[in-house]
Amino acid sequence: MSGLRAPNTAVIAAATRPTPWWRTTWFRWTLAAVVFLVLVVIPFIADPYSNQTMTRIMMWAVAILGLNVVMGYAGQVSLGQIFFVGVGAYATAITLKSHWGVDLGLLGAVIAFVLAAVIPGVLGFLVALAAARLRGIAIAMVTIALPIVGVPLAKRFSDLTGGAPGISPSSKWFRTPDWLSGLLYDDQYRYLLALVIAGIVFLLVAFLVRGKFGRAFAIVKANESVASAMGISPYRTKVLAFTIASAIGGIGGFLYVVVNTFTSPDTLSFPNSINLIIATIVGGAGTIIGPILGGVYFQLVTQIPTALQASQWTTVIQGIVILLVLFLLPGGLASLPRVIRRLTAKRPDRHVGTGTAPAPIPGNPGTTKE
Amino acid sequence: MLLELQHITAAYGPVQVLEDVSLSVPDGGAVGILGANGAGKTTTLRAISGTVRVARGTIAFDGHQIRGRRPEQVAALGIAHVPEGRGTLGNLSVRDNLLVGAYRRKDRKQVEQDIEFLLDLFPNLRRRYKSNGSALSGGEQQMMAVGRAFMSKPRLLVLDEPSLGLAPSTAKDVYAAIRQLRVESGIAMLVVEQNANLAFSIVDSAVVLETGRSVLSGTTAELKGNDEIRKAYLGV
Amino acid sequence: MQLFIQLIVDGLAQGSIYAALALAIVLVNQATGLVNFAQGGMAVLSAYIGLAVVDLLAPAFGPGLVALAIVIAIVVALAFSFVFGAAVERLVMRRFERGDEDTAVVATIGVLTLITGLVGIIWSYNYQHFPWFFPIAQSFSIAGIGVSVWSLTTFLAVIVIMIVLQLLFMRTKLGLGLRAVADNPASAALSGLKVGRLLMVGWGLAATLGAVGGILIAPKLQLTPNMLDSVLVYALAAVVIGGLDSPLGAVIAAWGIAIVENLSAAYLPTIVGQDLKVAVPFAFLVIILIFRPQGLFGRKAVVRV
Repeated sequence: MSGLRAPNTAVIAAATRPTPWWRTTWFRWTLAAVVFLVLVVIPFIADPYSNQTMTRIMMWAVAILGLNVVMGYAGQVSLGQIFFVGVGAYATAITLKSHWGVDLGLLGAVIAFVLAAVIPGVLGFLVALAAARLRGIAIAMVTIALPIVGVPLAKRFSDLTGGAPGISPSSKWFRTPDWLSGLLYDDQYRYLLALVIAGIVFLLVAFLVRGKFGRAFAIVKANESVASAMGISPYRTKVLAFTIASAIGGIGGFLYVVVNTFTSPDTLSFPNSINLIIATIVGGAGTIIGPILGGVYFQLVTQIPTALQASQWTTVIQGIVILLVLFLLPGGLASLPRVIRRLTAKRPDRHVGTGTAPAPIPGNPGTTKE
Repeated sequence: MLLELQHITAAYGPVQVLEDVSLSVPDGGAVGILGANGAGKTTTLRAISGTVRVARGTIAFDGHQIRGRRPEQVAALGIAHVPEGRGTLGNLSVRDNLLVGAYRRKDRKQVEQDIEFLLDLFPNLRRRYKSNGSALSGGEQQMMAVGRAFMSKPRLLVLDEPSLGLAPSTAKDVYAAIRQLRVESGIAMLVVEQNANLAFSIVDSAVVLETGRSVLSGTTAELKGNDEIRKAYLGV
Repeated sequence: MQLFIQLIVDGLAQGSIYAALALAIVLVNQATGLVNFAQGGMAVLSAYIGLAVVDLLAPAFGPGLVALAIVIAIVVALAFSFVFGAAVERLVMRRFERGDEDTAVVATIGVLTLITGLVGIIWSYNYQHFPWFFPIAQSFSIAGIGVSVWSLTTFLAVIVIMIVLQLLFMRTKLGLGLRAVADNPASAALSGLKVGRLLMVGWGLAATLGAVGGILIAPKLQLTPNMLDSVLVYALAAVVIGGLDSPLGAVIAAWGIAIVENLSAAYLPTIVGQDLKVAVPFAFLVIILIFRPQGLFGRKAVVRV
């Protein structure tokens, strides 16, 4: 038949090649252990300001991870993630400040953490119940309301939330607890606390994404009709993704209070909502390492201009960067190694493809068409 | 020759669809493109109208080389393409659909006269004049599509499977209307059709495609008259 | 009763601003299938251009001819918005039009961020006063109801815009072309329409609509880069309620949103009040969407497999 061609030898060669050393399991585990060790040791070497910066990065990474679950993995644009971060931050700050009128002692910190995850999670669930039935674009159009409504809400209930100036719980919460006081300085304690929390959250999400939920997300994102044909309810999947994303966002809010020792209505403002989206895409939507890169990016893009006395340039830079990323590197920074490899590799059977539209919100490398 | 294709090739990405296709349409003539599903008939039309990239070969229309030109340019030269699936503008009325066909024309009075001409030819369309395109039946949409293409006052009308998705009696009506159009206007036509009998009712000659190659051509009488050819290629 | 009517009148005027932006969003969506989150930002940019022209001309014209300076500024701003809108379509959005719509939304968010940032750098984030033909507070009485001149102008402007758009789309060749390209670009191309150019015109037109809204509200709100952020949110809500494909629905929804907002602020001062009135339209939005995901006027979305 004229349609068949000779077997593609390059493809066969690639499939039977032994795994390169940088992909073997033992290398990956060793790498992970080394990275972990470095992360744990760094705070003892670095100065307090750097520690604080790194803690901030971890905080944003968690917030972005949440957004990534809904945007990168489930493919829905949510402009409301910062709202859930803010709710988590307020839950934390209010618990730590007023203890809800009850003396809780150290347990207060744990309760703050739990509330910071649960309250936003419940709210996210409720929002998703209404929003998830809409076309994707309408979800973006509706979630944009969350920060817009959240700010006046935060200001209104000033007895609870401290109104416009915000809440600042007593600093005793952010100092090293007594039983560790000899070993750690405050900034180191906060860093390690954030590292532990962020690490656990990232691991949980990594497992989630690799399991059946992750697959359900991917199918719903790719084609909802196919998903329902397979018995996966797009509506339920989206609600689940949204709930998880808001809970994780809330944990990010907890860390926000840990790092900044206060929260205010500005935390959940509309510009911050956009900042999160940009950081998610720049880092690399649909990957685990993307949020970390996104957190680094976000911290740098706010910190460096401020240090250079040019803080008003942050917004312009954000705009330029996101457009560049969408045009040139839609998979974000996380896809950089893959793209470099592709550009430098020798390809004997390169064919001229028909011009196609750019890939959807970048998903896992395996799901986008090359 | 009004239209002349010589040994053209075309591919969708890595998939080669046309390997070697040649055909010609004389001024005022009507030629059919026949063949089985997947033989490359629609792709040949797309190659002519510029919606698919042609790697090799030449396409000459009215003295111009049109290989590689954009669809808007090809349309401007006088080729009107009625696509597979009819290309109905669903949210626009029948009148608007026809006016879109006449978009490039500047002679308003003549445009209105042409619309009248078409409505006489296709009385169904007159009845549905104010309805939205999507409300029309398959046969009506097909006639509207032919009408829309005709409104651009082309030298060559290119029709892709006019009978597709239509009940046999409706398809016959559509072909009768197209035949009438040809008789009254003298316009040249190139028709892709799976149903050879229907095609033979309006074309003077035909080309048969098989897996991307033009393997046979001849007048309607020749093709119809040859039993072997009929059985092998035309399934008639 | 008087208060009630007053609130409705104010709501219609305020809602007209939302309506202008909502119309722009619907227009872009019908022409290119995208929702442009930068619509408000583009309008703000045009308003700033207008301000720059006024600042340039007013000293030269002298106090008597300020009105003329403002007129020229408005014309320049609208012309600029048209060109800018067309440019954004051609240079940025063209790439994303046939792909995933969520990626396109992020692209428009990028455009919004870029515009806001540039405006902030060029003109700073401070409030700027936008001069107008008459004092904003100026009003007159009809049957005991205070109607501000501004409210009347704004409301009439939107009515005129709707009429003009209707005429444009239904009676002109350009309008036919825009509708054809919106409905079936491939078919339109085969009929010889210059699809790319028409898309640019569509975006330019939408940008001009948004700019009208921006210029109308600038004298009232004081110009600042983020001036239209919340208006954008209202406009989006109006489009969602009214149906993504229904211009009339979007306008009516916009008026409705503003009226409901005003009524709840006035009649429920303790629960809602001035600061939380922003939440009321969204409460309605959520309720409506639960029962009719396609909005009040929209058609049920057909998912093409």
